[in-house]
Amino acid sequence: MTRRWLPVAVAAAALAAVPWLGSETLVQYGINAILLATLAQGWNIIGGFTGYPSFGNSVFYGLGTYGTAIAMAQYHLPFGVGLAVGAVLGAACAVVFGLPILRLRGPYFAIATLGLSAVMSAIIANVEIAGKNIGLILPLFRGDLLFYELSLGLLVLATATVAWVSRSRFGAGLVAIRENEDAAQVMGIDTTRWKVMALTLSAVFSALAGGIHAYWITFIDPASAFDSTLNVKMVIMTVFGGPGTVLGPVVGAFLLSAISEVLASNVSTVAGAFYGLVIVLAVVFIPRGLMDVSSGFRRMGWRYFADNVRRHRL
Amino acid sequence: MGIPDPAPAVLLLGQILVNGVLLGGLYGLMALGMGLVWGVLNIVNLAHGSLIMLGGYCVYFLYTGAGIDPFAALPLAMAAMFCFGYALQRFLLSLIIRSAMLNTLLITFGLDVMLTFLAQLAFSADLRTINPPYAGDNFDVLGVTIPVAPLAAFAVAVLLAAALSAVLARTRTGRAIRATAQNLTAARLHGVNPRRIYALTFGAGAALAGAAGGLYGMVSQITPYVGVTLTAKSFVIAILGGLDRPLGVVVGGVALGVAEAATALYLDPTYTNVISFGLLVVLLVARPAQLFERA
Amino acid sequence: MFEVRDLTKRFRGLTALSSISFELREGEILGLIGPNGAGKTTLVSLISGTLVPSGGEIHFQGRRIDKLPPHRRAHLGIGRTFQVMKPFPALSVLDNVAIGALFGAAGGERNRARARERAREWLEFTGLGRYVDQRADALGGPDRKRLELAKALALHPRLLLLDEVMAGLHPVEVDEVVALIQKIRSQGMTILVIEHVMRAIRNLSDRLLVLHHGQQIAEGSPRQVLEDPRVVEAYLGKRRV
Repeated sequence: MTRRWLPVAVAAAALAAVPWLGSETLVQYGINAILLATLAQGWNIIGGFTGYPSFGNSVFYGLGTYGTAIAMAQYHLPFGVGLAVGAVLGAACAVVFGLPILRLRGPYFAIATLGLSAVMSAIIANVEIAGKNIGLILPLFRGDLLFYELSLGLLVLATATVAWVSRSRFGAGLVAIRENEDAAQVMGIDTTRWKVMALTLSAVFSALAGGIHAYWITFIDPASAFDSTLNVKMVIMTVFGGPGTVLGPVVGAFLLSAISEVLASNVSTVAGAFYGLVIVLAVVFIPRGLMDVSSGFRRMGWRYFADNVRRHRL
Repeated sequence: MGIPDPAPAVLLLGQILVNGVLLGGLYGLMALGMGLVWGVLNIVNLAHGSLIMLGGYCVYFLYTGAGIDPFAALPLAMAAMFCFGYALQRFLLSLIIRSAMLNTLLITFGLDVMLTFLAQLAFSADLRTINPPYAGDNFDVLGVTIPVAPLAAFAVAVLLAAALSAVLARTRTGRAIRATAQNLTAARLHGVNPRRIYALTFGAGAALAGAAGGLYGMVSQITPYVGVTLTAKSFVIAILGGLDRPLGVVVGGVALGVAEAATALYLDPTYTNVISFGLLVVLLVARPAQLFERA
Repeated sequence: MFEVRDLTKRFRGLTALSSISFELREGEILGLIGPNGAGKTTLVSLISGTLVPSGGEIHFQGRRIDKLPPHRRAHLGIGRTFQVMKPFPALSVLDNVAIGALFGAAGGERNRARARERAREWLEFTGLGRYVDQRADALGGPDRKRLELAKALALHPRLLLLDEVMAGLHPVEVDEVVALIQKIRSQGMTILVIEHVMRAIRNLSDRLLVLHHGQQIAEGSPRQVLEDPRVVEAYLGKRRV
């Protein structure tokens, strides 16, 4: 048990030390990557464990952004309170929309979530207190160090939560729902309630990430807060890294962020096509994500990839 | 002369209906391809909107580059998109067709992202409109303006839907497609080659998307990014209309078109997307029974 | 301990079941037979909560349950197997059964480790002990049926609904399953069995209930029912079984 967590703890400590070892740009890149990893972990709970792929989790991120921004910019409340407000907004949205939408299966659920983010963005753009289309400006705080460590702390918390989920009765229920929802129901799992709980948990982490991001960049508006490319990214990172695993989303997020940074500095628009290509290849050759590759490789060597194709082709 | 002018409110209503129906026919055509692929292959193609977009660019370049009239260019674009769709299904999508629905969602999602960015690379983000000389023409009927290009687009859309209906019902291939949709094993036993049928169907879906794209370019603007919205709208309409029932899908499209036109004129044009998505969510939540039958 | 009154189910114009009424006594085995499409699985789905009745009542241990969702009925002690089997494919055989122990009767275990232990016991009981760590989808046909059974048992139900657990098995396997079901009954469970294998169901059941086109056409001891001319005509054919 300790042997597995030791490398992870070392990695976390190394990450925490980055602001003293790396450049300013690296720290900024780090904050972005870490927040993305948190979003991916949040998605992992509802998409990876429960098998309900939400393509609209950015709505929770956006609500977290706005909750924090409104609390701080309009009501001059401290950052901690702002974060809490954002988290509550995200959770409330998850419950209110989750109850009807989570009763849908598969593709219907996925596309309903697509609509969710767009609708919320349009609504916020018309709300006075949210600054409408112009956006809001938060109080300024200089100090990337704080944001970096705070984001890292959130990621650690999210990962620890996912680790708990993977071991708990709650997680067992979620996986049962994913594997066969009918059977899960007759075996005593209150599927609707648990799906909503999974979505809410996911929403809270997304909202907290949004809140941190808002305070960090100081200025928000509907387009950037409900950024739809985030949906793309968090799904891809988790699926690539390993849905339903503890470290998969983190690995996927860091790896893909790094690669896209490298590509972006050389060939800018390729980044988008790159993400698309990654996911196409990943779904075909490593449908269970990166985390499964090592054990799969040990079992079958290079045939692992061909085997994945063979099992799912026409 | 003889007929008095109708009251302004009635005129407005009439205009909404006309706008809505004409646009709706086109929407129905867009959804046709998606519904067909969904009903037969059980693939929800999240890249469908991008296929529409590509078809639009096809017709655009045929018109501006080779001077071919857009309506004449439609069959060419359809042929090109058919080949593209056929290859896509035959060589890529068939690799994951037996895996979980999530994987087909993800892979078409990935394709959509790729196609969007590749289009951006190739065609830049500029707005393109297909503007044949008759684009701005319209004529008056009882005080309601009927624009010529959307009317022609509507006519083509209905025609294609009827053609698809006929092909599915009367030709041997069409029956093979329907058989495969209902029961793959039984169809195989009757000598149907699923690889070919699946690829054909997907190609047909892409061809229809291509036609819709070309028509869309005449009534609106094409950018690499229109894909996502069009996919979502096609999805709503496909569900409304009943997946692989072509004429039902067209009716669904008209319904959405009228709803959007009403929103644009009575509320605010910026709300039209909200209406589509809102309608989608309401639909999904309020009609689960019909959906569970297919799911 | 269990009663169904006037149970009816309609699907968009098709009446799948009409006015079914019967009782179950504690510890009894009731066999449910009838031609395909008679409504047997529909009846089981209504009892387990997977489907909602169009009319009628269901009573279990003194409570009316026809409005309860499936997971609540599982908590009360109703377990079922599915004719079209529904394993959890990516999970191990052990974890498949452990789900039942975790969430079953009275809300199940809180502790995953203890649930796994109980799952092991049920796997031994049903003869799947050696497959404990294999993936559920790696099992062959007959073993999958046993897995369905083990999963339902892990719920520790008072009422067990078995839907064609012997389909596709050869005679030796059928006998094994019959013995297993008798063992289960001796543990105090009440069982409702849907089956087509006449030999098995005749020996196993205390009583038989016959469905045809959604209607109850006969009920009684196996001897009575199997000689009833209506049953013979509708289901058995003219030959004596």
